Amino acid sequence: MATIVQRDDVYVLNYCTKSLARYNTDARHNYGQYSPDDRRAGIAEAWRFPVIDSYYDGRSYEDSYAFNTATFVLVNADATHDVAVIGTFSDLVTPIPMPRVGDSVYCAVSVAVPKGQVHRYRFVVDGKTTMDPVNPQRVTTPEGTEWSRFFTQYCTDIISFERWELTLLLRLTDHILPFRTIESQRFLNIYLKNIERQSKDSQYARAYRLDQPIGVVNFIDKILAREESHRLTDYKICLELIDRVLRQRDPYEEPAQMPVSMYEDLYNQMAQDSGVQGWDYSRYGSPRYFLQLLRRHTYTGAFSHPKYGGNAGAAGWAYLAHNLTDPLTGALPADDAQTTAFDWSRAFERPLGRSPEYHG
Amino acid sequence: MPNQPDRFDVIIIGSGAGGAPIAHTLVNAGKSVLVIEKGPLYRPQADDPFGLSDYKRDELISDGPEKRLTIPGLANTGASFYTSHVEPDLNDEPHIYRKAGSGDFATIEGYTCQCVGGGTQHYGGVSLRFSALDFRLRSFNEGRTDLRNDPNGDVKREVRDWPITYDDLEPYYSKAERLIGINGTRENQVKRASEENYQKPLDPNPISDYARVGMLALGMKPYRTPQAVITQNHEPSGRKVGPLGDPAWEGGPKTAYVNRYGDALDFKSNTWVALLRPISKKPNLALWPNCHVTHLECQGSKITKVNLLDPSGRERSFSSKVVVVACSAIESVRLLMLSAETSPEFNSRINHNDLLGKYFLTHCFGGASAVMPGRFDKSLTVDSDWATDFCGSEDFIRSNGLWAGATIYNNTSDQALPIALGRTHGAADLDTLWHGFDNDTSIVGERFRTFLDLEFNRRLSVSFMANQVPQKANRIELHPSVRDKWGRRVAYIIKTWHSHDQYLMDTLARRCRDVLAYGGDNGGGHYPVEGFGGVYLSENALARIANHILGGARFGTIEADSVLDKNCRAWRFDNLYIGDGAFMPTSGSGNPTLTIQANAFRVGDALLQSGLL
Repeated sequence: MATIVQRDDVYVLNYCTKSLARYNTDARHNYGQYSPDDRRAGIAEAWRFPVIDSYYDGRSYEDSYAFNTATFVLVNADATHDVAVIGTFSDLVTPIPMPRVGDSVYCAVSVAVPKGQVHRYRFVVDGKTTMDPVNPQRVTTPEGTEWSRFFTQYCTDIISFERWELTLLLRLTDHILPFRTIESQRFLNIYLKNIERQSKDSQYARAYRLDQPIGVVNFIDKILAREESHRLTDYKICLELIDRVLRQRDPYEEPAQMPVSMYEDLYNQMAQDSGVQGWDYSRYGSPRYFLQLLRRHTYTGAFSHPKYGGNAGAAGWAYLAHNLTDPLTGALPADDAQTTAFDWSRAFERPLGRSPEYHG
Repeated sequence: MPNQPDRFDVIIIGSGAGGAPIAHTLVNAGKSVLVIEKGPLYRPQADDPFGLSDYKRDELISDGPEKRLTIPGLANTGASFYTSHVEPDLNDEPHIYRKAGSGDFATIEGYTCQCVGGGTQHYGGVSLRFSALDFRLRSFNEGRTDLRNDPNGDVKREVRDWPITYDDLEPYYSKAERLIGINGTRENQVKRASEENYQKPLDPNPISDYARVGMLALGMKPYRTPQAVITQNHEPSGRKVGPLGDPAWEGGPKTAYVNRYGDALDFKSNTWVALLRPISKKPNLALWPNCHVTHLECQGSKITKVNLLDPSGRERSFSSKVVVVACSAIESVRLLMLSAETSPEFNSRINHNDLLGKYFLTHCFGGASAVMPGRFDKSLTVDSDWATDFCGSEDFIRSNGLWAGATIYNNTSDQALPIALGRTHGAADLDTLWHGFDNDTSIVGERFRTFLDLEFNRRLSVSFMANQVPQKANRIELHPSVRDKWGRRVAYIIKTWHSHDQYLMDTLARRCRDVLAYGGDNGGGHYPVEGFGGVYLSENALARIANHILGGARFGTIEADSVLDKNCRAWRFDNLYIGDGAFMPTSGSGNPTLTIQANAFRVGDALLQSGLL
């Protein structure tokens, strides 16, 4: 059984009101991620549910860092129903009761779930299971059953993409990122190996093993599964078109194996927007538009908090700390330099950073 | 909402800079007070039962994922926007700005926070006093013929002196500085202080020294920018910090997660940790977060009912002897206008003249930014290090043909974090986030590396904050068609810049440029500064850059010429007060929060003496 976390009413209501309390149910929050009649389109930031947050076991913040708190919420307007949740985060059989939050219309329960995991769940209302009516994430099992889904922080299971799409995305983001120089590559390799050695069992370095430069592709995979699911279609269409363009240009080589110059040429043509030879403009009118989206996601993935799945082992931050030159001399910092240009770790929670007071 | 009394001495709507000081004053005087806050009670580590903060050091919590504007028929329908976790959702609760010739734009002003503490959760904490001159700009400009770019004499016609003087407000500035918890230095400020309540500032970030050197070279006497961040234990609010100067103490407020972030620890003096939390255990305070006031009702000159929606969206009504509206200027005016729509009596009293919503103000704001010669770890910073009152002196104002003065200060935390650097690259305001980086597709690979090498931890900006010329046509209305998630008409803001505002911004932006030009080459004055200007030049100059929302219900001594009396009571109501910045007839030569707080403490005292309680 999952460990239940006793979050107070204020905590739960804080996340409910902005999204769930409303009269207007127009599809104001549909940016393309829902079908027109989907009720979730009327809910602001529906992706916030279940709420994934930090966890504390009452003893050690550092040990607790291996877990998240997941808070499930269901609107039970007349408060007459028995509400519970079952899911793979627990034993899948025993419903976990979701008591009413104060005198509100919300029922909720919080549980501890290990970081780095994907789970499916259903609510149980008066003994019958039902989908979470708010959470946009859904998954169908091979047996054909539909479930609601969530994943915890630092997750590296691939959710949004096929293998070939990942490979293509890896090459494209690699082209954008600033880590292609020999010095940068050398730095990142040493840094990430060091992290891995220091924390063999730690999941905080795991994204590296995906063979992604600092986990940007994993970050994109996650943001398309949750916060920006309206952008998944852009990726699906454009990766397919890019794959086709590359194969047309060299029918004898797999896109994954093609030389850097092939990607460079394609990138430059896409940036010009028109005249990308072989691009199906009837399916996606502006390759430049996709490039801009990819640029934002790539940048964000490289330098955001590692809990979002990118910036693996904080390598993006470490790069900024150790690989920027002294403007007065043009020199890179010495390997044993005592101070850095960006002492990121002092502000962050342990074990990611070294703050003595901030818990994350 | 547990079982509560349905009658209070005072109901205060809003828990930010305008509401919290009044609550603090009245609760400590033994009055029963209900504070209603639309947003959540997000808690920092110190008062969360699990020691886990709802505010995080996380760039993506503050500038969230992409959303798209879906409200039909607007000029920016379909545009992407990125809001923080405490900002309202633009599709649910927008403000609509009219831009002449371009149509209506949905947006929300920077530092709008729907949470306990309001905008003081996200602000950079710059806590300047207004100058004595800011209170009497009409008198100061009387008979002047040297004003530039004011062909129709608008300044003379439209500007009003405040009905109180600097000396009237001074004790409350001192009280606010003491109770809120502010660090800074006094020497070289032109604003007289009767008490010394500043905490000791932390060492400045070394990159700010360029600003200090530039100010000194130009004869601008600098002082350490007063900021609502505690650096020492703060007795009035019971907050404690680590020992200053202890090298083992690596924490502290210098993280760059200050401006536009709620503080996970207790350093930033937002109104929750500074004013409300210390009284939150008292039985005569009720604080209801996640409750949204829809309208007020009156019988004759008395407000009799406050109608709200509880966290489940259910209607409730409560009453009190006094009602204080403090939702920040635009939302306060909107609430009064929505109330007027439900009742002819309310309408005739609040709109007895045509001034409600008029003379909406922000600040003339702008500055200069440059890549400086050295690289410094800007993440070791709070928001600002050095400020100067040089541009606030009568000599400066007169010799430049200006109507009012300004404060200049440097921003150290700008682009101090990596995502902030990317998303604000080339962006003039919050509506154009990511445009620069996304559009500059040449920044890839090696050029991405040189971009970071050139920009990261090397940029310094110097800003000015100045009075905007009040214009009656700059106003808050209700939008004819756009409605919020409750089906209520949203605020509609019509605002332009006066020709004198543009002249003033150009003049002051050049001074900011000079600070960097002289600071960058140690007093030579030739250091290259590539970007400077006023806010009116930005792509969407009217909208989100409007960080400081003020006016719309100005106070005064003449009933026919103002919305509020000297004590911020609505003229034809006995018990309706406005606590936020809507009262200001002019917007002041500095960031407004400390003045809003000081005035709210003053209104709190006035309420105690009003005979109403």
